[in-house]
Amino acid sequence: MEVLPGHHNSGRGNKASAAIVSKRLNPFTMKLLKYFGILLFVTFLFQACKDDPEEGTLTLHFKPLYDNQPLQLLITHPYDSPQQIQFTHMSMFISDLSLYDQSGDEVLDDIELVNVSFSNLPSAEAGYTMTLTGVPARTYNGIKFGMGVPPDINQMKPADFPSSSPLSLTGYYWAGWQSYIFMKTEGHLDSLGNGPFDIGFALHTGSDDLFRILNGPVPIVVEDGKETVLNIGIDYKKLLAGVDIKGHPQNHTPQDTSELVKIVNNYTSAITLFQ
Amino acid sequence: MVVQLRLILSFCWCAILVLCLTACHDSIDTQEGDLTHIDYRPESYVLQVPAGFPALEQPPDNLMTVDGIQLGRKLFYDPIFSIDSTVSCSSCHLQEHSFTDALAQSNGVAGKTPRSSMTLINVGFTYHGMFWDGRVASLEEQALKPIEDPIEMANTWENVEERLRNHATYPAEFRKAFGIENKDQINRDLATKAIAQFVRTITSGTESKYDRFIRGEIFLEENEYNGYLMFFNLDNNLPDAQCGHCHNAPLLATNDYFNNGLQEAVDLESIPDKGRGLITGDPIDNGKFKAPTLRNITLTGPYMHDGRFATLPEVLDHYASGGKNSPNKSTFMFNLHLTESEKADIIAFLLTLTDSTTLTNPAYKSPF
Repeated sequence: MEVLPGHHNSGRGNKASAAIVSKRLNPFTMKLLKYFGILLFVTFLFQACKDDPEEGTLTLHFKPLYDNQPLQLLITHPYDSPQQIQFTHMSMFISDLSLYDQSGDEVLDDIELVNVSFSNLPSAEAGYTMTLTGVPARTYNGIKFGMGVPPDINQMKPADFPSSSPLSLTGYYWAGWQSYIFMKTEGHLDSLGNGPFDIGFALHTGSDDLFRILNGPVPIVVEDGKETVLNIGIDYKKLLAGVDIKGHPQNHTPQDTSELVKIVNNYTSAITLFQ
Repeated sequence: MVVQLRLILSFCWCAILVLCLTACHDSIDTQEGDLTHIDYRPESYVLQVPAGFPALEQPPDNLMTVDGIQLGRKLFYDPIFSIDSTVSCSSCHLQEHSFTDALAQSNGVAGKTPRSSMTLINVGFTYHGMFWDGRVASLEEQALKPIEDPIEMANTWENVEERLRNHATYPAEFRKAFGIENKDQINRDLATKAIAQFVRTITSGTESKYDRFIRGEIFLEENEYNGYLMFFNLDNNLPDAQCGHCHNAPLLATNDYFNNGLQEAVDLESIPDKGRGLITGDPIDNGKFKAPTLRNITLTGPYMHDGRFATLPEVLDHYASGGKNSPNKSTFMFNLHLTESEKADIIAFLLTLTDSTTLTNPAYKSPF
């Protein structure tokens, strides 16, 4: 306890002594001191470089799939025999995308409109790409993100956002729900399995009740100056499993969310991670 | 000696006179087209954006000023842009028709345009492409196009710039609007900026019956209200008329592009008018067109990108039928099984979107 005040005093004393010593130095000592100074400076520079945060890049590919195969628009797939299905649009809001470890969450992106509507196979295979730079380099325990717009933001409206934000898109807001449309899945159904696509469907999820946070507890290593690639597959066959599209091709009345709940409950089986 | 001195003096005077005249001549040359004697005091213009509307986003290099808008308004109504000085912007965007022209296809200097003119109401809030196919990103860029279109104005910008520079009043007005120092600085960039400034002032969002209903100031009549509920699909007991998907509040538009079943085709490549697809190059966009605002819709017929429907009942019949089939037809297009009464209710609601003040607002009128 007593040492601390002493140290403090000796500091002030040292300053005074240093001033006296400098008056007595000869040229040789001055040179030595100069070299010592340069050495100190270089050491400091190295130290500064060492303090630079170690960061890497995380690249995410959101890939639309149907029965584990790349899904492109307007290609016919079997659906709940004898029905057949074609897709014309698939998109979703991803929010608060984060990597996490014991120390907490590293939020990398607040909101992203992930559009996985691709009219050709190479694009469908490549998927929708998100490139996140400046990700602190370490080994994370997993990744998580919201499927949709979180409740605090979902209270707002498109007019509250600048045109550069995907949240400004009025086509992704549904007044009947007082909510953003979280996920759009649109296409045509051949309800009899005999050729003509006789039913157009637009399955749109939305409202706070249908907001979900998905958690993928897989180790993700981000290394300094390197790119880590993660694929997120969205299998629409699994996503629409059990959904009565023929009976409910549209779901926009606030009271009619029975089929939408099925889609949301299918997230965990339909959305998969692979590196 | 005296004579010699007089001669020398006379010579000097002559020399001075010649020097002065030469100097004056130079001065006249350098000051030709000079505008710096005209005051440049830009006064910012703040647009009253209707409640609930998105913020008005202006390009940082073209913020609205009182003089900029005034110049833009004159240019908008001046046929100086067309090759034969007969067609102005206002020829296809007439205030009395809510800034359309009541024609299926507009009249240019060399015939009919292939598309129907779009209303300019609230176009300043359009941030995802101009024209029916979204070919340009901004109003400034949009204003460049009609001048050199071979049907619309068939002129060249070089010619227009020359006309504007040699005009009796425009150089001074460009000076007041943009602070140019010489009339040679008048160019297409400044002309289109001025027009864009004026067009951004053309708004509607407070005075229609619909707006007053939304603000809780008035009731809607039963048929109008039923139409409102069907339009936005707010009542399970009424059919969903599917309108709100593409014409969402508050602009009654979505800044998006749809194939609304106007063209029959077995595959994407055989859709005759490719619309948005020609711009993006993605066949999935073939046959898609912008969903325009429905504000003042009763005043903006004929309807659709090619003006094929003359009346609103025709439009309702088309949408209620589900339209013609093609692979990428909007999934909101199918037989809605609406009764005649339900269709009439929807039209009654559409009538509530009329804002007649835009037709008479003196700020939008021709200054000539």
